[in-house]
Amino acid sequence: MTVTLQSPLGFTRRRLLALGAASASLLASSAFAQVRLDVTQGNVAPLVIAIPDFVGGTPGDAEVARGISQVITANLRRSGLFAPIDPAAFIEKITSFDTFPRFPDWKAINAQALVTGRVTRQADGRLKVEFRLWDVSSGQQLTGQQYFTSPDNWRRIAHIVSDAAYERLTGEKGYFDTRVVFIDETGAKERRVKRLAIMDQDGANVRYLTRGEDLVLTPRFSPSTQEITYMSYGQGDPRVFLLNIETGQREIVGNFPGMTFSPRFSPTGQQVIMSLQQGPNSNIFAMDLQSKRTTRLTDTAAIDTAPCYAPDGANICFESDRGGRPQIYVMPASGGQAKRISFGDGSYSTPVWSPRGDFIAFTKQGGGQFAIGIMKPDGSGERLLTSGYHNEGPTFAPNGRVLMFFRDPGGAGGPSLYSVDVTGRNEQKIPTPAFASDPAWSPLLS
Amino acid sequence: MKAGWTISAVLHAGVLAWGLVAFATRPLNAPPPEFLSTDIISAADFSQITQGVRTAPKAEAPKPLVEKIGDDKPVENPTAKVVDKPEIVATADQAQPKPEPEKKAEPKPPTQPPAKPEPKQAFAKEPEPKVDPIAEALKKDNKPEKKPEKKAETPAPQKKVEPPKPQPKFDATRIAALLDKRDPQRRAATGSTLSSTPSLGTETGRAATLTQNELDALRARLRQCWNVPVGLADARDLVVTVRIQFKQDGSLVGEPRVMNSASHPAFQVASESALRAIRSCAPYSFLPVAKYEAWKDVIVDFDPRDMFRG
Repeated sequence: MTVTLQSPLGFTRRRLLALGAASASLLASSAFAQVRLDVTQGNVAPLVIAIPDFVGGTPGDAEVARGISQVITANLRRSGLFAPIDPAAFIEKITSFDTFPRFPDWKAINAQALVTGRVTRQADGRLKVEFRLWDVSSGQQLTGQQYFTSPDNWRRIAHIVSDAAYERLTGEKGYFDTRVVFIDETGAKERRVKRLAIMDQDGANVRYLTRGEDLVLTPRFSPSTQEITYMSYGQGDPRVFLLNIETGQREIVGNFPGMTFSPRFSPTGQQVIMSLQQGPNSNIFAMDLQSKRTTRLTDTAAIDTAPCYAPDGANICFESDRGGRPQIYVMPASGGQAKRISFGDGSYSTPVWSPRGDFIAFTKQGGGQFAIGIMKPDGSGERLLTSGYHNEGPTFAPNGRVLMFFRDPGGAGGPSLYSVDVTGRNEQKIPTPAFASDPAWSPLLS
Repeated sequence: MKAGWTISAVLHAGVLAWGLVAFATRPLNAPPPEFLSTDIISAADFSQITQGVRTAPKAEAPKPLVEKIGDDKPVENPTAKVVDKPEIVATADQAQPKPEPEKKAEPKPPTQPPAKPEPKQAFAKEPEPKVDPIAEALKKDNKPEKKPEKKAETPAPQKKVEPPKPQPKFDATRIAALLDKRDPQRRAATGSTLSSTPSLGTETGRAATLTQNELDALRARLRQCWNVPVGLADARDLVVTVRIQFKQDGSLVGEPRVMNSASHPAFQVASESALRAIRSCAPYSFLPVAKYEAWKDVIVDFDPRDMFRG
């Protein structure tokens, strides 16, 4: 599907030759550099980027072309790491994809990077989308790709281009070509209808996966992205379900006496880990989806719940009140000694391990406030990212740099979804059609 | 009554007068402050003092100091004793042969003032490769008359090892004469090259090195322009070394060059961000033209270690 583009006019080779000649002459005249200094700090200012409308073949394609540029612009701006320039400030209008942009014109408006692109319709009706990412200061092409897709799938292409630009400029994997599954909440507060819903990470393309007869909670994505596991109160006890997004097929995970809840997939997608209530206590079990074999991981006279795998699958973290009030514990995924890692005031719940492995995010309750925070897997470096009347249910973006959670301001309103960086900066509200809670971020789709 | 007043007045006056004398004339018994002489130098001076050139080859040995350019007459062994010293001839009549310096040095009694004889021994035994200009000057002044006198006086009695050793008198006015014993270096005073400083130096000398302030200004400017990509947060030891060459107006000569490489996946992004910072901040017109030699070629290490602490 993707093909790397050659630079126009054999640009790279010429450039290399010139560079070689320059370095040779430098060596020849080589005088010792007299001064050496180190720069150990820099800016965290957003990178200024210009994303002019992609060039469209036909008038119909021009509409899509503009849409793609706008989606990329919105994605990069929302990340907080980029500052897209208002198109009104552009000096050059990009009319051709195959020629060099006039870099002085882009330098003049302080652009550091430039994204150009073209949308053309193929004979078979598909769209071909090409883009180039330019470094304005050096006039070099940093990356270039082309994609083919059906016309109604253009938003995904925009997300993929956003990821490519993001990765090339920040050195991190992107997270734009992802989806979020969440609980859509409509109706009055006493008679709330809760439906399982899925959308793109920017809030577009909302789709409902259940009709709202049953109460649904804690949806979680499978690493394969085709499946969701969640808890639902049908008739009787709550049960953990598996749902295939594409086919709509649904099945109960396991056949346990009593209620099962807070399910989550293992990193391989082969297992589901969850809590099973037995009397006043609950313990953690893992179930292999193929063999349906169940393994008991904890056996305490306490409430152990909200289990979550480390990205390497070697450890799990979970919440337990065995020490008196809910705290976070870490133990080997095969069972064994659990080690408490949270020691702050208040109680900790809903731990979730970052896909990068460097942090565990949690909800912290104390002093009448609910906060979202992160700590290292050994319990050190605790940092609260946001705090307020009610914040809960953190979930990591696949690159581990951004968290999504839901916030309920209290009163007559309802919850909505927010995202925040692991630094605590750049908090953003995610647009949803109604109230929304319990978000779960998918892995990258591509 | 009147007598009482008078007595009172006289007594009071007496007490006051005594007090004035007794208290006022007594000096304040404060210990005199001890002075510690200090020099105040600026940070720039200090950085110049301590600065070296990393790429300079290590100097093995100092060049022989030469005062005049002339025929190269190297001393084969500068520490060897000079045997023939024809020019040093006693003007006065001198019966005794000139004694060996070693012998003279041995029996020196400890009662002598410690400072002066020690250097003398040292000079006599191991002449230093450099000529002390002060000693040279002194030598010229005192050569003709004083030397023989001293020779005659000091070593002669000591040669006979007898129990009642005559103490050689130390005469402060003859220090120069004592110093005069050393002369082997005279022959090295001409050479093919004139060398006044044995260390490796820059063409322009120390005066043109950048002061800390100017370095800080350049560093601050680069820091300001460097937009550190977030992907470098995990890269603890990712350093990008860039060589920048400037024109005299502070603009860049060609492209800045990345000097190192690393296998880290974020290295390319890091190096591009560094180059972007350098280019986007050009020209660096705040750099002083007078010191162009010092900043025309600069190596900068971009290291985000202070950014992502903790």
